Amino acid sequence: MNKIVYFLFFIALGTVATAQTKMSSKEADVLKNKVKVTANKTQSISSDFTQYKHLDFLSNDIESTGKLSFKAPNTVKWEYIKPFAYSVLFKGETLYINNEGDKSNVDIGSNKLFKELNTLIAASIKGDMFNDEYFTITYFKKDKNSEVHFAPKDPKLSEFIKAFHITFTSNGDVLEVKMVEPSNDYTQIIFSNREVNKVIPDAVFAQ
Amino acid sequence: MRYLLSSICLLVMVSCASYPKKNGFAESNISVSQVYNPYFSNATKDYVYKADLQFYKKKLSGIIIIKKIADKEHRLVFTTEMGNKILDFSFYKNDFKVNHILEDMNKKIILNVLERDFTTLVKEFNVSTQTYTKEHIQVKEAEVLNKNHFYFYENIGLTKIIREDKGKEKVVYHFLNIEDAAAKRILIEHKNIKLKIQLKRI
Repeated sequence: MNKIVYFLFFIALGTVATAQTKMSSKEADVLKNKVKVTANKTQSISSDFTQYKHLDFLSNDIESTGKLSFKAPNTVKWEYIKPFAYSVLFKGETLYINNEGDKSNVDIGSNKLFKELNTLIAASIKGDMFNDEYFTITYFKKDKNSEVHFAPKDPKLSEFIKAFHITFTSNGDVLEVKMVEPSNDYTQIIFSNREVNKVIPDAVFAQ
Repeated sequence: MRYLLSSICLLVMVSCASYPKKNGFAESNISVSQVYNPYFSNATKDYVYKADLQFYKKKLSGIIIIKKIADKEHRLVFTTEMGNKILDFSFYKNDFKVNHILEDMNKKIILNVLERDFTTLVKEFNVSTQTYTKEHIQVKEAEVLNKNHFYFYENIGLTKIIREDKGKEKVVYHFLNIEDAAAKRILIEHKNIKLKIQLKRI
């Protein structure tokens, strides 16, 4: 009986090990360059997304779906469609909010944290957050994909976010962004129908 | 003179009358009874609401999640739509704990208001010391955090809770669109400060 338990244990361990192993520094460099090249060529992104909010004490994750639109260098619109209509648009120095038709805006020019957040969101959409000055970065292989963990060094930011986990396809495109909180609760965003460098009508970024 | 005295007496008596009496409710002969709030009572359910807070001209929106954990705790978390945690509270039978709150909101005055509002909102059982009736409405008087509260029960269930002070409404909790012991909309309205919390079930 014990043998079976050990056997199962090792099988389980083996599965975990093949699912996610640390990259060599050479492999990490290859990925980093691939993502950077892709990110630099990215003028626009439009994508659908599904968001899962995981709180440990809940029976089910809270699911919402919407659309992401990005235009270089850092205009970003997150639009939630279901189960509520809510959008945030980072454009220039302003954050425009549309809460079920109720519009408001926030001047982020003077707010350093908001500014950093915007840069971070734009960077995470493209996956280009490879900045050792701001993050402690660890690279993993995950089946055919890669997963990179970015742990913020800034104590102000690490109060909210323990780490960003970004999953890249073999082409260096972002498949998934997971923001892990210090409590280990997380927000997971999975992208689908991602279109890069397709012209996005200006109306999408109008508020 | 006698007339003046008696009218003063009458005035004092009227202003001292409790909130239900002032509003035409009659004291019933039920004294001690149980108060039950069914809206967050199922431990297998996640109660998820889109939340809109308005404090004077300031607006804050997000998601409020309430979960009953076993029989000893109600957990309440408020996040932005994008998932960032704004606050995370635990309510126990006679205790309240802040698990997390954004630094900007970590002020005693804010915490006090939120603790009171949400304790009343999630408190499942309480003891009523007096019951009042008017037509088909039954009102039960009970204390929450040492403040007087009136629970309004109609045919469909609990429709309203009023926190009262010196015979005046301080906070009104409206439970709306009630279906299968669930309130699809909840409105918490403060009467002495301009604070309104609207919850819409998602």
